[in-house]
Amino acid sequence: MTIQPASAPRSRLRRIPSWQITLGLALLVLGFVVVAQLQSDGPRALYASDERGPLVETAIGLQTQQDALKAQILALRTQISDLETKGQGSVAAATDLGQRLQDARLAAGLIGLQGPGIVLQLRDSEQTVLPGDNPNEYLVTASDVRTVVEQLWLAGAEGVAVNGERITTGTAILDIGGTVLVNSAYLAPPYQISAIGPPDLLDRLSASIGFRTFVQNRAQAFGIHIDVAEPSEVSLPAYAGTITLRYAQPDPSAGAGGPAPAGSTPP
Amino acid sequence: MNKRRNQLSLAVVAFVLGVLVVVQLRAQEAGNGLDQLTPTELTVLVGNLNTRNDQLRAEIATTQAELATLQASDARGDTSVGQLQADLARVRAWTGLDPVIGSGVRITVTGGLDAGSVEDLINELRNAGAEAIAVNDVRIEPNSIVDGPLDGLLIGNTKLGDPFEVSAIGNPETLTGSLTRAGGIVAQLAATAPSAQLIVTPVDMLRLPATTEDLVPVHGKPQL
Repeated sequence: MTIQPASAPRSRLRRIPSWQITLGLALLVLGFVVVAQLQSDGPRALYASDERGPLVETAIGLQTQQDALKAQILALRTQISDLETKGQGSVAAATDLGQRLQDARLAAGLIGLQGPGIVLQLRDSEQTVLPGDNPNEYLVTASDVRTVVEQLWLAGAEGVAVNGERITTGTAILDIGGTVLVNSAYLAPPYQISAIGPPDLLDRLSASIGFRTFVQNRAQAFGIHIDVAEPSEVSLPAYAGTITLRYAQPDPSAGAGGPAPAGSTPP
Repeated sequence: MNKRRNQLSLAVVAFVLGVLVVVQLRAQEAGNGLDQLTPTELTVLVGNLNTRNDQLRAEIATTQAELATLQASDARGDTSVGQLQADLARVRAWTGLDPVIGSGVRITVTGGLDAGSVEDLINELRNAGAEAIAVNDVRIEPNSIVDGPLDGLLIGNTKLGDPFEVSAIGNPETLTGSLTRAGGIVAQLAATAPSAQLIVTPVDMLRLPATTEDLVPVHGKPQL
């Protein structure tokens, strides 16, 4: 039996060429990357790529088309607005109408807005899912986005947009899988919710019980990231969707802006 | 010779590593988007995008016609009072600044529904294509939020009471079908709020009031 002197391992280490150490480290990193790749592919392996591929391509193509269509609508609306302003001339009635139209478009969200405000960002939790918990609780859902939008309105916001989609009277916010649709536009996380309002909008929001409950239920309980920024100015884009009414029409029995009995059925 | 082989091994490993790192980063980048959806979810998304794009194309056609009329008036040197009035009426009706009439559905809610559930119902009506919505006497705007405790629901300063009614103008069949389908919002609320009862009635002609809110921004200014 031979007893090695204590310095033997160190001297053996010194003998290992540097390229072997580099190769060893590279192989170690390679191993990590391969495992990460396999893990990230794991759950998705259920969805055969030949099935998903064309659908993903179609969705991307349709979203690109949608962006182009929206840009076209905004350009046409700008041309109309310019012509209407130009056409007013010295006719007082037209000038008054033009101002009312501008106000109505501002109220509708058909004109981009800039002013004081805040931007909230919602991001998925990075916490480990606890046993018995639903993994979806750790993701930002349409319900989270809607809650923040609602709390912003209650705090006094006068305009809100989510990832560049302006919230209007017809806006639905929906879940599809782990992602969110706003105005039927597909939005990828993280979700940035921008709001314009009074200078103390953030204070009002922070003080509201509804928002504090939301933070408690989602950030503190599940680790959903809620970040808030208060830039010097917030910009909201114009709504670029349809405003054509097919079923509703102005009530001919009421003057413009006049009251009408609620939800009543005319005889 | 031996040194050359070592360098070659190192180069091969480094190359494979580089390729895998790039693939992994790209996968993570795309993983936040469509790659996370199942084929069924992708199909729903494609359906939504198709519907929305059709609506946008129809809107472009309407807007182009409006622009052509304005350009013709401008070429003749006319003022565009008639066009402005038509445009104003359209925008005000859509926004909720004027009362509107039309077919749709009425939902009578009894037995108590919490504020979040009423918001879910309104969100579902919007998704189903409702063009105008009112809860009791209140025309629903983006900033009309149902708030308060179960026995004291409020929209702004207006108390809802029990029962209360939600009225929506739109295609009655589509709205009714969307609300009452299996797994739809009425079924969901029956499970989460068993004490509440929702009765959905298609209506040929509804009249919804104008909003009483002043929606023109005070703090925000138009983007130039």
